Amino acid sequence: MLPFTVTLRPGLSVHEQVVFAVKRAIVSGRLKPGDEFPSVRVLSRELRINPNTAHKVVATLVGDGMLEVRPGIGTFVAGRSSSSAEDRRALLREDVERLAVDARHLGLDVQDVVDAVIEHWNRLNRPAR
Amino acid sequence: MQYAIETQHLSRRFGRTEAVHDLTLNVPVGSIFALVGPNGAGKTTTIKTMMNLWQPSGGSARMLGTDSRKLGPATLRRIGYVSENQDLHEWMTVGQLMAYCAPFYPTWDTAFGAALARQLAVPLDKPIKRCSRGTKMKAALLVSLAYRPELLVMDEPFGGLDALVREEFSSGILEAVGGDRPWTVFVSSHDIDEVERLADWVGTINEGRLQFAEPVPSIIARFRQVEVALGDSARLPSNLPASWLAPEAAGRTIRFVESAFSEADLGPRVHAAFPGALDISASPMSLRQIFITLARTYRISEKSA
Repeated sequence: MLPFTVTLRPGLSVHEQVVFAVKRAIVSGRLKPGDEFPSVRVLSRELRINPNTAHKVVATLVGDGMLEVRPGIGTFVAGRSSSSAEDRRALLREDVERLAVDARHLGLDVQDVVDAVIEHWNRLNRPAR
Repeated sequence: MQYAIETQHLSRRFGRTEAVHDLTLNVPVGSIFALVGPNGAGKTTTIKTMMNLWQPSGGSARMLGTDSRKLGPATLRRIGYVSENQDLHEWMTVGQLMAYCAPFYPTWDTAFGAALARQLAVPLDKPIKRCSRGTKMKAALLVSLAYRPELLVMDEPFGGLDALVREEFSSGILEAVGGDRPWTVFVSSHDIDEVERLADWVGTINEGRLQFAEPVPSIIARFRQVEVALGDSARLPSNLPASWLAPEAAGRTIRFVESAFSEADLGPRVHAAFPGALDISASPMSLRQIFITLARTYRISEKSA
């Protein structure tokens, strides 16, 4: 089992999807600096993806400074400081784009979208019954 | 060695039928190459010719650097071959079969074979003739992987296997490849689902001819399902771009598959073809959807030829 969540959708780059999922897990605190990260082999087996792709994923994350390899020991989440608000906003970008596009298709204006977001936000903050 | 398999203008004829025609492809070492095509397209003939079960009628094939016509024990013991109709000494149990095969392969890894047998859930002491189809295929895979071949060639390995067995099969393959040893996988299939996540390269074959061979990320990047919303209903003009496949029109909606997608070009091209376009959406397509579209396109072009 992997220490982060990813659901692979067909038609999209596997590499991008997995890199994004790991970044989201790190930014949201699901994966913390110093946590052990699965080896290429385990990634390939658990996600049922090509080992070359798994290798590229790890290489990208190491290159972006999100993971670090300690030779002979393993791969770990890099010990950087916690994520900035900008990192977190960046992860939402795709959802925001989709929301904006869908709203415009339906002929709504930006205030309709803001109102809808506020309503759902408040719903989340209310205690569950 | 850069390529585990190279074919040059490979052809194989039976009587007057060219089952494989002018096939040129290269499979890089360390990659998983999937050859996809409908039944009767020439996948099995291609593989059998590569494995020297048939001689080429024209052109050539090289396996791990050796001409296919000269494949001998030294090269064959570095290649694993799994096909649907395998002769598996049905009277033996799987355990006996493994013991029987082991001495032929200097690289046979008994411990690895045992671990794989557990992972694939293959019973070691049941006679093969009493095993189900799925178990027989897993046994064939097991015997081919236990000596850690550098090149694994599989002809329609997923045919007739239920979903769980297919999962176990894919896991078995992933378990064996990767790591420091050189490895390459060549698999033919008419079922694209198993292939999408595993393959680095996909080639399509139809009527004995290779349509294209391309890295999976690049195919996925250039195909999009496009929908155009128009102000008024319109018929399809006759001079649409050649890269727009399977165009359809219904009411105020136009739909087509773009096979040469570029974010920057799509808008201008759509507006050039449909000046009344209000909205354009382009969605990624799975490999399965891409191949269905291509297969339909071939069928249409055959009818009009």
